[in-house]
Amino acid sequence: MKTRTRDSLRKLNNILHRDLGYFFAGLIIAYSLSGIALNHIDEWNPDFIISKTTLNFERTYDRRSITDEDIATLSSRAGESSFRLYDFPSERQVKIYFRNATLLVDLEEGTGEYEKISRRPLFYQVNVLHRNSVKWWKWASDIFAGTLIVITVTGMLMLRGRNGFAGRGKWLISAGMIPPLIAVVIQHMQ
Amino acid sequence: MLRIPSLKTGLMALLCLFFLAACADGDPGSAGQPTPDSGKIGVLLVSHGSHSETWRNTLFELENNVRDAILDGGTVSGTKTAFMEYNEPSIATRLKEFDEEGYSDVILVPILLTVSSHSFDDIPTIVGLKDNPESIEMLKLEKIERYTPRANVRITPLLDFGRILRKNVLRRTRGLSKNPADEGLVLIGYGSEPYEQEWAELFDSAAMHVAGETGIDTHSIGWCGHIVRYSLDSTAAAVNRVLEKKKTAIVIPSLVAFDENFQIRIIGGGIEKVEGHKERVRYKPDAILPDPDVEQWVVDISTEYAEKILNQ
Repeated sequence: MKTRTRDSLRKLNNILHRDLGYFFAGLIIAYSLSGIALNHIDEWNPDFIISKTTLNFERTYDRRSITDEDIATLSSRAGESSFRLYDFPSERQVKIYFRNATLLVDLEEGTGEYEKISRRPLFYQVNVLHRNSVKWWKWASDIFAGTLIVITVTGMLMLRGRNGFAGRGKWLISAGMIPPLIAVVIQHMQ
Repeated sequence: MLRIPSLKTGLMALLCLFFLAACADGDPGSAGQPTPDSGKIGVLLVSHGSHSETWRNTLFELENNVRDAILDGGTVSGTKTAFMEYNEPSIATRLKEFDEEGYSDVILVPILLTVSSHSFDDIPTIVGLKDNPESIEMLKLEKIERYTPRANVRITPLLDFGRILRKNVLRRTRGLSKNPADEGLVLIGYGSEPYEQEWAELFDSAAMHVAGETGIDTHSIGWCGHIVRYSLDSTAAAVNRVLEKKKTAIVIPSLVAFDENFQIRIIGGGIEKVEGHKERVRYKPDAILPDPDVEQWVVDISTEYAEKILNQ
């Protein structure tokens, strides 16, 4: 290949790497944050802040004789001035629904769990993208994934010589493949 | 080469497109639909939904097996199957179809074992009977559409109303039992965090029934669903609890239908963690369905509700 053509291709490669990198910088950070959040889904709820308060009503109730007044009293103990509706999930429980919260009362124990839900700022939004919770987003996500491959490949071809792919590049790429390979081998052996 | 003004214009156009797309996520409503025919009743069998095709086919098969018996009564005009999550046909899709076909009433039969957040909050919220804040947020995140149909929706009780599970577990235990005196029973179910007591009571009653009928007097319970974050450990621990007292453990998956992820990966994988499992554990990766008693229950509850609607 002629040197001029090679230089032009390399220039195009570098421009692609630079501009795609700029364009997708926000999304790369969003997906990385969401990736960390979703990795630890067993330890926390990355989407919502669910505040739980346990209440003790110092008396028990009988499901058969519970009234709207009782429900209003239980609601007020949770700090709610009005309720939307209530329903009985089992013989021993009543669940009261409020605008942004619920109260699950154990009638036999005379205790309740008041739950309030709110979206976890930033993480909720980045998780919406990462989980494709917007129907059409999966196509944008596919394009993004494809572009990440382009950014990576163009990155590998940016430099020439000692610091290029043929130099230290090939060794670092090989080293980077070791941790995932170890993980796959360990999983296979188990 | 791109000039800065055109790049700016392009970005603005892109942002406008995103904004318009976000705004377009609205309820299509029920405009243009026919007026409901008074007394036209439909039955909608609703189950959880699964990535497993075998699982979904089992639920379609259930509808096939009950359809004629339900329609023969003359009170119900049509039956459909819907899945709460993962798959189409979704509940919203089916309710829209019922509306388009002019149904005045829909009897929603949940094919779920016992009380859970899905049965008590999610399904009623999807069909517009409740506005549970947590369900609303979760449904949005999971892309599960809410739809309030023009038809009146009535939700029937769940499968635990009756002796179906007891009879089902007994039949399957007998299929694996060789020497009851040396055996203990392990029941593995999906479970539900706020209603663990109800699930445990349901499983205890099934195990007591098996004990009375077969003499297998030791049992333990394990979970395989969200309550244990789909972990294999709960199954392994439940099997080990039985094996501390008995030579052999009989493991019965108390799940509605077969799903490779549950019966093979989670429960099967949990059993493989048990020392000496090849000799000491008897397990068949089956499910509650197919079961003629479940089919009969679906027919009975649908007929009962249809008559109630007609007589009101």
